[in-house]
Amino acid sequence: MIKFPEKEPYSPVEYTYEVETILHQGESKYQEILVIKNPYYGRMLILDGIVQLTERDEFFYHEMLTHVAMHAHPNPQRVVVIGGGDGGTVREVLRHETVKKVYFVELDEEVIRVSKKYFPTLSAGIQDPRVEVKIMNGADFLRKSPAPVDLIIVDSTDIIGFARSLFTEDFFASAQHILEPDGMLVTHSESLHFHLDLVVEIQKILKKIFPLVDLYSVPIATYPGNWWTFSIGSKKLDPREARRSFEIETRYYDDEIHKHAFLPRKLYEKLLSKQLAW
Amino acid sequence: MTRDFKVEKFHAEIISKSTLLKALSYLDKKKITTPLLLMDIEKIKDNVSLIGNNIKNSKVFYALKANPDIAIADLVNKQGIGFEISSEGELGILSSLNIKPEKIISSNPVKSINFLKMAADYGITFFSYDSANEIDKIKRFIPGANVYIRLSVPNEGSAWPLSNKFGVELDDAVRLISYAKHQGLNPVGATFHVGSQCTNLDNWNIAINKVKILGDMAKQRGIELSLLNIGGGYPINYINNAINIEIIEKNINKLIFEKFSEDLEIYIEPGRFVVGNAGVLVGSVIGKAKRYDEDWLYIDVGVFNGLMESLGGIRYTYIVENYKSKKKRWIITGPSCDSFDVIDKNVILPEPDIGGLILILSGGAYTISYASEFNGFLIPKTILI
Repeated sequence: MIKFPEKEPYSPVEYTYEVETILHQGESKYQEILVIKNPYYGRMLILDGIVQLTERDEFFYHEMLTHVAMHAHPNPQRVVVIGGGDGGTVREVLRHETVKKVYFVELDEEVIRVSKKYFPTLSAGIQDPRVEVKIMNGADFLRKSPAPVDLIIVDSTDIIGFARSLFTEDFFASAQHILEPDGMLVTHSESLHFHLDLVVEIQKILKKIFPLVDLYSVPIATYPGNWWTFSIGSKKLDPREARRSFEIETRYYDDEIHKHAFLPRKLYEKLLSKQLAW
Repeated sequence: MTRDFKVEKFHAEIISKSTLLKALSYLDKKKITTPLLLMDIEKIKDNVSLIGNNIKNSKVFYALKANPDIAIADLVNKQGIGFEISSEGELGILSSLNIKPEKIISSNPVKSINFLKMAADYGITFFSYDSANEIDKIKRFIPGANVYIRLSVPNEGSAWPLSNKFGVELDDAVRLISYAKHQGLNPVGATFHVGSQCTNLDNWNIAINKVKILGDMAKQRGIELSLLNIGGGYPINYINNAINIEIIEKNINKLIFEKFSEDLEIYIEPGRFVVGNAGVLVGSVIGKAKRYDEDWLYIDVGVFNGLMESLGGIRYTYIVENYKSKKKRWIITGPSCDSFDVIDKNVILPEPDIGGLILILSGGAYTISYASEFNGFLIPKTILI
């Protein structure tokens, strides 16, 4: 069987996957897009040589990226999803009945097209009438978007690639600007094991903009370093507290996970002050 | 605008992901005029926090010559460490930051009269020496100063050897210690330098053994050495992984404290280690040429305006913008008309476009401090990120 070796420059461990079939191999204006089938994980979406999701375990990432902020917010109606062209995050956002409008801002239209074909269970929500698809850079969207929103969810590719415009102080400032007073922004922020310096850096950039900044995590087998983090910036409300009852259908996330996903405060302080590093 | 750089696995050993994110984000921001030196503030702080942790009774003095940018000096000062300097110019920088004289030492064994006068006025009291003349000079301007003798030690395995210019052998050293004492100075200790970017643990072994012998010889003459200044030499990653600082320091600590008493005070003078890997030099590709079967790449930062250490054998790691995927072997040169201005004769890189940026990693130490405007080419501007 042929193998796919993942190429994340900052992963000291190289993850290699068996390839049962190559379903799609192409190059968009922005990146190489590969869809393979692996005997264990099923279909896998790979962008620029880095695994983005697998059919088998994508729910860990998509549920945790979405539902923590969705429950910390008392009434999320207008949501921006930046990136996540596969549609998984949009699907999770739409599980909430409060949601009236989703701006789905994806730079690479080709990822949406390929996902619709090979990942129909993820991309199904894109057709929902509440969803408005915007093919553009997320930073440009926030700068131009007129109406305030409740939540911004950033579902990007590797941070040092072209997605890095979604991790600057300017970007977070324009996010802060269009968020309602009780709004929040959540973004993935890579692995505590392999990218600790970057996790700390993103927390620091967020702290320049948001009064409340926090960090939670979920283990993901197919992301380098596994101990995957999400950084959350909030204008007013403590994201550790779930303000809405847990009523949606999920596989991993629930009200108890919400509490336990956040880093214990002592550990968080040690990491941010760099007393603990490895 | 998001620029397109080819980041590969071997880059990850040289530059941390957070430093790279900051550098690339800065370069995305606006129209860039090269050459530039981007210095990561957080990385400098991290580096300082790693030094001296594994050596008992140690104090750290940043060798300002590695990068004397005033904002960097200010940052380093705020991390709580001291400075090692050699000249009026360096003291001028520190005095403009109001740095206390107790935090400053001078380890250049031969100092100018003007510097000694200025140091005396400022209140600096720790100096190195390796000649009778220097003792006379120090005595004249700073009577009673604390002085440490510079020993000559092997520099094999260092990218930038220093020993053949400075240092004395044991017999001369002990004579000079006695002379210093006789002249009313306080011959408080000894120093050596294993060479900058030292990757050979044996250099420290040999040097510390030598200091031990010197200490015994001095004791016979009734002089107790209470200070050991181990100089600098801690290496950083340029094209591959250098020995880890923790291993180096644990080794030094073991060597010192199995030979000397517990209350021996240790000074460490890192320069490169504080700033080297916090810096990314940013140049632009200005030309490409095929000569016989060689591919030449001309960039706007070269031997004279930043990459002087390439002459001594330091080899850098590069990241290029606007690349074509096929890799080639390049000879990389600076912009000047001088044929010495060749940075590296063997670099495998994807082919960059003219006008594309080229990042030179671990460019924070001994780059700007050596740079001149020879031939009218600008010295890279330093920007803290």
